[in-house]
Amino acid sequence: MPVEVILPKVDMDMETGSIEAWKVAEGDAVKQGDILFEIGTNKAVMEVEAPASGIIRNLVPASGEPIAVGTPVAWIFQEGEEAGAAAAPSARAPSRSLTPGEVAQPGGPPSSSVTPPAPTPSPQGGGETVARTANGQPASAKSDGIRATPLARRTARLNGIAIDEVSGSGPRGRITEKDVLAHLAKAHPPAPAPVAARAPAEAPTEGELVPFGPVRRIIASRLSESMRVAPHFYMTAQMDMSALQALLKRVGPRIEKMTGVKPSLTVLLARVVAGILPRHPMLNASVEGDAARLHAAVNIGIAMERDGDLVVPVLRGAEGKTLAELTRDFRRLREAVVSRSIQPADMRGGTFTLSNLGMFGVDSFTAIINQPESAILAVGRTVDTPVGRHGEIVLRPMATFSLSSDHRIVDGVTAARFMADLREAIEYPEVLL
Amino acid sequence: MSTLTEAAVESAVRELTYAEAIREALAIAMEADERVFLFGEDVGVYGGAFGVSGDLVHRFGTERVIDTPISELGIAGAAVGAAITGMKPVLEIQFSDFVTLAMEQIVNQAAKIRFMFGGKAKVPMVVRLPGGSGTGAAAQHSQSLEAWFAHVPGLKVIQPSSPHDAKGMLLSAIDDPNPVLIFEHKLLYKTKGHVPEGDYRVPIGKAAVRREGRDLTIVGSSIMAVRTAAAAQKLAEEGIDAEVIDLRSLRPIDFDTIAASVRKTHRLMVVYEGVKTMGIGAEISAMIAESDAFDFLDAPIVRLGGAEVPLPYNPVLEKAAVPQEEDILAAARRLARGDA
Amino acid sequence: MKADTDTSARRPNQRPELAAIDDETMRGVLRKMHLIRKFEEAAEASYMRGLIHGTMHLSIGQEASAVGATLALMDEDYILSTHRGHGHCIAKGAEPARMFAEFFGKENGYCRGRGGSMHIADVDGGNLGANGIVGGGLPIAVGVGMSIKAQKLDRVAVVFFGDGASNEGAFHEALNMASIWKLPILFVCENNKYGMSMDIGRAMAVPNVADRAVAYAMPGVVVDGNDLPAVAAVAREAAERARAGGGPTLIECKTYRLRGHSKSDRNLYRTKEEIEEWRSRCPIRRLEAELTAHERFTPEALMTIEEAAQAEIDAALDFAKASPDPDPKDLTRDVYAD
Repeated sequence: MPVEVILPKVDMDMETGSIEAWKVAEGDAVKQGDILFEIGTNKAVMEVEAPASGIIRNLVPASGEPIAVGTPVAWIFQEGEEAGAAAAPSARAPSRSLTPGEVAQPGGPPSSSVTPPAPTPSPQGGGETVARTANGQPASAKSDGIRATPLARRTARLNGIAIDEVSGSGPRGRITEKDVLAHLAKAHPPAPAPVAARAPAEAPTEGELVPFGPVRRIIASRLSESMRVAPHFYMTAQMDMSALQALLKRVGPRIEKMTGVKPSLTVLLARVVAGILPRHPMLNASVEGDAARLHAAVNIGIAMERDGDLVVPVLRGAEGKTLAELTRDFRRLREAVVSRSIQPADMRGGTFTLSNLGMFGVDSFTAIINQPESAILAVGRTVDTPVGRHGEIVLRPMATFSLSSDHRIVDGVTAARFMADLREAIEYPEVLL
Repeated sequence: MSTLTEAAVESAVRELTYAEAIREALAIAMEADERVFLFGEDVGVYGGAFGVSGDLVHRFGTERVIDTPISELGIAGAAVGAAITGMKPVLEIQFSDFVTLAMEQIVNQAAKIRFMFGGKAKVPMVVRLPGGSGTGAAAQHSQSLEAWFAHVPGLKVIQPSSPHDAKGMLLSAIDDPNPVLIFEHKLLYKTKGHVPEGDYRVPIGKAAVRREGRDLTIVGSSIMAVRTAAAAQKLAEEGIDAEVIDLRSLRPIDFDTIAASVRKTHRLMVVYEGVKTMGIGAEISAMIAESDAFDFLDAPIVRLGGAEVPLPYNPVLEKAAVPQEEDILAAARRLARGDA
Repeated sequence: MKADTDTSARRPNQRPELAAIDDETMRGVLRKMHLIRKFEEAAEASYMRGLIHGTMHLSIGQEASAVGATLALMDEDYILSTHRGHGHCIAKGAEPARMFAEFFGKENGYCRGRGGSMHIADVDGGNLGANGIVGGGLPIAVGVGMSIKAQKLDRVAVVFFGDGASNEGAFHEALNMASIWKLPILFVCENNKYGMSMDIGRAMAVPNVADRAVAYAMPGVVVDGNDLPAVAAVAREAAERARAGGGPTLIECKTYRLRGHSKSDRNLYRTKEEIEEWRSRCPIRRLEAELTAHERFTPEALMTIEEAAQAEIDAALDFAKASPDPDPKDLTRDVYAD
């Protein structure tokens, strides 16, 4: 069996690395311990040695592109071993899968590296389902030698992606659902061939190209996935904030005494929303296949910004917590976000998300649902607005609330009822008592 | 009115040990039905090797709480004979390990009689089997052999993990018209928990979701359900949201509850005390792999089972031979992180 | 008992065991012994024609112990049988037609075709089943005895087993418990000399299985198992003692199976001479000879009984052949009771 050469983890917390330069070429004979390539991490460039002796095949060309740790980047064959005997390495390199009937060309350009060993053409033109990739190219779904979880394969299948186009980030290069979603995010809309910062000179180079960091990659994939799978619809309402403002003024100092921090309007809104969500199960739900999972707990995600990235820590069990408790939880999460010590687990398990941009003077906006939740509430600034009250025009502190809902499980009336309830709770918070 | 309320409150907070809960179930069943009787080695004045039968002999007499000779095969057969002729025997096998001496009657006779006779007989018997390690009883008194019996059509096999379930499932077992084996973990006998007064049933064949979670599913059986629930508490503090399923019943097994959870969490770990290979974990893993839940797995299934070794005497070795809470924690962290 | 037609009491010089069985009962005894013999011969013939699946264990030559030991039983009394159990089943009153149907694996067999020869049971008729496990019925009989006692029923249980089973632990555990609890059980050992191929003389250090009763403080009786009146007398006494609360009895019927252990037996462990010698002690012919000698039945009357039995077996066979097969969709029915 050929020995796989993987992109190794050479640093703590390293998720990806890039091949800076190969020291060997396709077809070279190498001895165990020979330097194969240079790997770039965000700290240094290091050399990677051959894990075995033999002939180098199917190497992924150096591009400077990030490659997930554990991804095979070449294979070392024994003397006389057939090149086709190896599973093809999956790679970030531009890939083109074989159409059924096409014959793998040994010694062909390494860029067509995703070549399953000569697929046997069947009379129907291929025994496997031929899925269309995002850019319309037929892709063989054949995936021998690729490590991928069933869920990743399923997600790929449903989205018409060939699994061998996806880079795995798991142990030994295993592709998980996350990887497929990331791939999908990259592929929608069809992106031009990835261009790295160190791209050849002929590539368009207007402006600075900032590669995504790992967090941004996840954001990008999650949000595009959300827009793709969840038919969003929006509902907007202005609400009178005077009662909440009064409430904050009254209990704020007491809570500050208890918790050391003033409750913010965002936390108070979280408390209000948590108070009514149990009556609106479809808005505290997630889509699972053909079913809606109704959550017993209300875990409210609060959208926050950190160095240009969006993070959404979660206030757990908010339906059963007091304003003081939520304030304390919120402070801990915010501090963790700021100090970059937030754990992934603190950002998992949300059932509904609240995004407040009022402090930036935004009047209103709509938000993208944080999958797999079914709704997100966007809050604009509170501003004194003339409104009619009992036949007179008066100035009231008004804020605009925009609800984005997943139409797969939330209908217009369902969302409207939630908004009516929300108005009631915001304008008469006593009803929550 | 107020007395009723007080009684209700008292009942709501009443705690019993697992052993007391079983004794209470036996007493309720024996009071309600003259056909029910308890027999086994030292279940009479001695009160049972683990004190489970306690004072029952004084309450029901030696004709209904019967000390038997040390004849496991014989008493297992006697249970079969009594069951097919109108009685409802409850047999205690002193240590579940001794059931090896009674395999013939349980596997060849009790399990098959109804089928072999074309449905013309019923075998409503219960066999109580104290099992499991952790008491320093070494290799012949500490095994978890439940999977053997779960392999036999015609038997039902249950493993309640709490006093509440022990009482409710034993009452269901006594009512069941089939042979039911109830494996009681010895370490659970002294654990306490809320047990309602009176007669109530916990169904056989239904798992319990002890904790809902999103990140991974952990299925535990018997004491491993208890350890798993404790581990899940700690995992939650670390931000890992584990769903905990207490299997409770091995045959019939509640596959639907497990599969639904796997479809949600995409990760599965099975924890059981019996030897890892060819055990409960293998069955659950295979059922998931065969079902449509397979497509929802985003990581390999993890089995945490007993080591491939007879149970050792030395306490450190004994602990090392079966999954402990720390093992569950470590494995769950790896699985949740995607390192499994 | 019909005193006016009963000739048994008028015949002089009969041994008391024979005199104790009146003519009408004797007709029933003869009918059942013939039914057993002819049932097994027909089963054997069907087997050889490939009509019966699996194997079977024939008790040809052992009819007296089956019929004799059950003669004192009431309908509601129980028996537990062995893998060589056709005789016990017929003796307890089963219909040959439904037994054949079971042999043929038919839906209207005693076990709906799920049990076959080795598991025939007639629970309603008090037959708690043949048993494929040597000694399997012995501990079950203890439970039946406990059940009878607990429910204060006037019943007894007869458990048949072979000489081979008396070397199983189950035998010793069962006899001990039956004795300490004084259970109403007749332990009937049909000692046919061989545990499959092993001579009991090589498998057991005491000369008689009944000698083992001493260890359990119960009566142990050796009886000629091919002598129906003798077996019946011993069993009657044991049943009366059991009903009166006197506890169990171990009865050893010395007998012989004229056929091999099962259909694949080539008789390598015994001589033709031995088989011929036992054939001459055929329990049916012996009883018939004694009855004609004492002029209780004429040869013609005996022939009539035998012919009637043959006709019953022929009809039973036809019934079985015409019976429906089980439906595979019912495969897992009756694994569990609801």
